[in-house]
Amino acid sequence: MGGDDLRSDGGAVAPGEASVLDRARALAGRDGAAIVGTIVALIVFPYLLIDGLGMLGDLIGYRIGGYEGLASLVLIYGIVVIGFNLLLGYTGLLSFGHAAFFGTAAYAAAIFSAQVYGSPLLMVLVGTVVATLLAWPIGFMSIRRSGVYFAVLTLTFGQMLYFWALGPGAWLTNGDNGFSGVQVADLFGTLRLEGIVPFVGTWMYVFVAVFMVLAVAVASRILNSPYGLIFKALGENEQRVSFVGLDVFRYKLMAFVISAAFAGVGGSLFVIHESYIHPTTALYWITSGDFVIMTVLGGTGTLVGPVFGAFVFEYISNVISGVSLPVIGAIGSLWRLILGAVFVIVVWWLPEGIYGAIKEGVAWGVDRIERDRGQPAADGGED
Amino acid sequence: MALLETEALTKQFSGLTAVDNVDLTVESGETRAIIGPNGAGKSTFINCITGMLEPSGGSVVFQGEDITGTPSHEVVQRGISRSFQTASIFPGMTVWENVQIAAFGTQHGSFRFNFLRHRESFPEVDDLTGEILGAVGLVDDAEVAAANLPYGDKRRLEIAIGLASEPDLVFMDEPTAGMSPEETNHTVDLLERLKEELGLTIVLVEHDMEVIFRVSDRIAVLHNGRIIAEGEPEEVQGDEDVQEAYLGGVEL
Repeated sequence: MGGDDLRSDGGAVAPGEASVLDRARALAGRDGAAIVGTIVALIVFPYLLIDGLGMLGDLIGYRIGGYEGLASLVLIYGIVVIGFNLLLGYTGLLSFGHAAFFGTAAYAAAIFSAQVYGSPLLMVLVGTVVATLLAWPIGFMSIRRSGVYFAVLTLTFGQMLYFWALGPGAWLTNGDNGFSGVQVADLFGTLRLEGIVPFVGTWMYVFVAVFMVLAVAVASRILNSPYGLIFKALGENEQRVSFVGLDVFRYKLMAFVISAAFAGVGGSLFVIHESYIHPTTALYWITSGDFVIMTVLGGTGTLVGPVFGAFVFEYISNVISGVSLPVIGAIGSLWRLILGAVFVIVVWWLPEGIYGAIKEGVAWGVDRIERDRGQPAADGGED
Repeated sequence: MALLETEALTKQFSGLTAVDNVDLTVESGETRAIIGPNGAGKSTFINCITGMLEPSGGSVVFQGEDITGTPSHEVVQRGISRSFQTASIFPGMTVWENVQIAAFGTQHGSFRFNFLRHRESFPEVDDLTGEILGAVGLVDDAEVAAANLPYGDKRRLEIAIGLASEPDLVFMDEPTAGMSPEETNHTVDLLERLKEELGLTIVLVEHDMEVIFRVSDRIAVLHNGRIIAEGEPEEVQGDEDVQEAYLGGVEL
């Protein structure tokens, strides 16, 4: 499941397109395959989410269709957890404080937009740089300890920032009232982010989707670089890594900082999307925990697996929570209960996560079809 | 000049002295065995030299430089590698990747900023990896997951990982432990061949006396953290202190 089988999206691609994809893949190489697959998936995703599930909802009589903003939100969290997975899934470091980088980036981008200029691109740049810079000292102090101590240290730093933003830092963050002075300007000075783009939705979605493609490209590159090998090795046998002459501390720190940069991109996009930020959504430890849940739900061992986790998480929290059932009534805040049940099921029965299960299912289906036709198996599933 | 020299090397664990004022000199090109009963301090001694433990006292000099208390990865970078009692490999990675990661450490040093370059774009790393796999005879298994190798091959892979660091000195902690007689034979042959081909100096901790007598030039006997005898195999074999240490002073 490493770089060797980066594949296009089997679920979303019609059979006739396979040869086109093959050619694109040969042109762009292995990193390219992941990117092509991602682009295809991102184009059809809003349609499946809003219209596909909407129609299904009409059939069964419940409103389970997604909405425009949800597609963007899934991708924003998806970017965060792609980076988080480099740390948790590959390097084997469980951080409970990544809200620190998500939230700090969100506030940095928000304040920059209010005080300087609201260019969405500059906001992302500023937020990401600030989050990355913050990750060095926090990582430096946390990575000295491993296992549960590392987790608790990151949790502590995250909570310190949360309480600072809530109280002493209120002059900057507007404390418990939340920061509502976000001034998002037009993209490139001409495109309103709310503006409609045919078929896929809004420019906001396109903007976020471009960053998702970038995130997949960069993460794929990292996994295929020496770092990918070293991160995985650290997760398997840290002692041996130092006994091949590699500086364990510095590579772990790099994994931490890289994952924080992804969280920074996500945090900046989040505040552009919401135009408002509050310490609880940005910095509170629950947000850090949500990243862990999304990553494990989707599947830790693969590049894009966690994005599926982000989707299921956000779908339950935003759509399922709005469903009203007979007898029980509105699900509302009970959505965490449903999420918990799904989480338990996944951890028990799908150790590879939702994405791992989808991939296996697709592989099984393709295998069946090919056997019926007596043809060699084609690609299935996306990595 | 001696390749490695420890002077009064000492390690204490809250009252217990596991390694007690050990002076040991290893000459370049020799194979040195360290033997001793369980709990004699052999592994602790190696751990103090290779940076896994901080010595309580004394010094370690390697190639004329003081390396006392140097972190493991720097010890390896200076030219000392080691194998562990239990095959210490990366089970979820392929045989090739197991050796490749060590080759990165050799060719690029302890850290490098190259996370956006494809790892197949380093021919020097691939060359070294291929060369080492050839030397230990694991080329055909290059794409096999390390976890799926038979036990003897896992140990061989571990030796390969150690060799990919291009060491001058290798510590081997019971390299034949848990092996069948046949596997043991293969491993000893391999060691002798590699030593000749690569000009290695080997320090071997071992219990199997047959192996020791076959490969070692000199033996040091550790007992209760001290060296109680040192010399060529035949000398040590006849030493009264050694017999007492192993047999607990029982009259025979």
